[in-house]
Amino acid sequence: MMRGDSVGRRTLRLGGVLVLGTVVFLSGCAGGESGGGTDDGLEVVNIGFIGPLSGGAAYYGRNVQRGIMMAADEIAEGGGFEVDGRMVRFEIVSLDDRYLPYETATAARRLLQQNQTPVILVPHAGGIRVVQEMNTREPKFLLAAYSSEPSILEAGNPLTLMLPPRFDGYQQPWVEIMMERFGKRLALLPTTTAYGKAWTEAVSVEWSRQGGTLGRDHGVDYNTTTDFTGAVSRALADEPDVLFIGGPSQPTALVIRAAREQGFEGGFIIMDQAKFMEMLTIVPMEALEGAIGVYPQETYPTPGAPLFAERYYERFGDDFQSPTSEVAINYQGIRLIAQAMHLAGTTTDPEAIRAHAGEAARTLPDEYRIFEMDGVTETGHLVRAVFSAHVVDGEFVALRIPAPTSAPSH
Amino acid sequence: MTLFLQQFVNGIALGSVYSLVALGLTLVYGVLKVPNFAHGALYMAGAYVTYVMLTSFGASYMVAMAVSIAVLAVLGGSMEWLVFRRLEGKSPVHAMIAALGMLFFMEGTADVIWGPTFRQVPSPFNDVVTLLGVSITEQRILVIVAAVAVMVGLYLLLKRTLVGMSIEAMAQDREGALLVGIDTRRVALLTFAISGVLAAAAGSLIAPLLLVFPNMGELIILKAFVIVILGGMGSVPGAILGGYLLALAETMAGTYVSFAFSELIAFALLVLVLVVRPTGLFEKGV
Repeated sequence: MMRGDSVGRRTLRLGGVLVLGTVVFLSGCAGGESGGGTDDGLEVVNIGFIGPLSGGAAYYGRNVQRGIMMAADEIAEGGGFEVDGRMVRFEIVSLDDRYLPYETATAARRLLQQNQTPVILVPHAGGIRVVQEMNTREPKFLLAAYSSEPSILEAGNPLTLMLPPRFDGYQQPWVEIMMERFGKRLALLPTTTAYGKAWTEAVSVEWSRQGGTLGRDHGVDYNTTTDFTGAVSRALADEPDVLFIGGPSQPTALVIRAAREQGFEGGFIIMDQAKFMEMLTIVPMEALEGAIGVYPQETYPTPGAPLFAERYYERFGDDFQSPTSEVAINYQGIRLIAQAMHLAGTTTDPEAIRAHAGEAARTLPDEYRIFEMDGVTETGHLVRAVFSAHVVDGEFVALRIPAPTSAPSH
Repeated sequence: MTLFLQQFVNGIALGSVYSLVALGLTLVYGVLKVPNFAHGALYMAGAYVTYVMLTSFGASYMVAMAVSIAVLAVLGGSMEWLVFRRLEGKSPVHAMIAALGMLFFMEGTADVIWGPTFRQVPSPFNDVVTLLGVSITEQRILVIVAAVAVMVGLYLLLKRTLVGMSIEAMAQDREGALLVGIDTRRVALLTFAISGVLAAAAGSLIAPLLLVFPNMGELIILKAFVIVILGGMGSVPGAILGGYLLALAETMAGTYVSFAFSELIAFALLVLVLVVRPTGLFEKGV
């Protein structure tokens, strides 16, 4: 080309390094302020939240954050909650980790030093595992874990409280229903994150166990793939009756759309990360016919769910996006922690708070109770009734998922 | 065989997307030697303008695209005028940091205005055409055809108009162009405006196929850089061919090896080209 050529390429390479550096730098300094004053006469307790608040997963992270903030705001507006004779409210301190586990660790250290947070909530398995290495050393803190990965319970971490249902409860009933309705051939097109791989393994094992045939794994990273048509064409060449898919809701909807465009008429088993109400903003209900996934939060078949949805729309406006389980489960988590602090009579001792979490799950007042909770297991899992939805003739049919009682098998 | 044909069509559609984005990038690089990372943000802005025109103003798809192209021409031009012009004669690192800054600034702005939500651009071309067992949506056909039209248009502009010839002259030799009386500042401004037009066309055409969100440009700009290096930096035919080549390599590698490795294979291809032919496939500028 021209004289500047080699200089140009060097410049470009330097550019790559710069991009990387900037990303790392930016993620380090985004967001967060420390607990404020006490104008309202309430004692302030800082609760940490570390999740993706910028980058491709920001949508997910902010849904989680919205649930947490909503609970904290409601508590403050209601005059706080009582702990050992004092009235307390929460201040949420949010830090951005861009979904990167090593950033989660840095952020956790910062929260502990600067904000003395007795509780930190992390919404992804990678970050949770890293924080599990830290929370039993001084200063100890309670880790509220929002991830359906059963392996986070395997760590035997005494200060973990896992909020959502474990995903290993879904495969057995879902596989049974889908095999019966559509047939025995399954093609795999899941996202390739660690969580996606664990899910794929679980569904593959169950599909084979029930006598079905498995295609090859055609998984792609849902967060970085621009166009799913190629991968969908390849998966459909296996002539499946059912497609196993899932990742963030909106890319998952694109996979469904591509499959329907290419003439696929079978069913979908959809990982619990993807939510029907969000997929419906991209594809029509017809495209979802024969899909099985987690039950839409807004109409979850528990008495508390519609009440929660009402308060949610009151706060954010009628046109606001539907409340997903990210919002609801984390809202519930913060309410639960407040109740556990109340019962334990302390806001600073994470062991005492964790010890009272089970009782808190049983005694939480009905108005704040979205799910039917029975307690907390030895390993730190919140026990509750779980429902999934199967789309039949354009309607969500509820199906109760039995709680997985055995130790996680993978 | 049907699978091969289907994947070939899928690859060509994806290649059109890649080429459209890479064209604007290579054009700016050819003329100003600026690796314009912010091109990804222009592409994102183009998609958002189309989205807003369609959903808030009820414009037709073609009108929305036209508005998007006009807005982005101005935005691209002002980027040169407000930022890059002031860095003229400084080390290229300055321009690069400025480009990165613009990328983050525009992503942040989109986030503030529209939030991190994924949005869907409605398209009137949703029907599926099936031929010889190969299915393709009308929107994809539109992308393939429009990409060719844009490429031909750009070629004619560069070869047949005075403006285009000044751009080429400047890409070949900046001082020489200045000596023969070309207003290099004006040409630089125009080049950025044209890159804005290309970004808007790409964003508007592709948006109905994918999702619109603040970071959408980051993913594709990385691929566009691979293509620009693959095709020869600053080379227009290189960007076009590189785009199709990368997309076909990804799709075919995915089909016959594994989609989990398709990106790996794409980047391996890049390394291979750089080893065998370090100047890229087409080394002549523009």
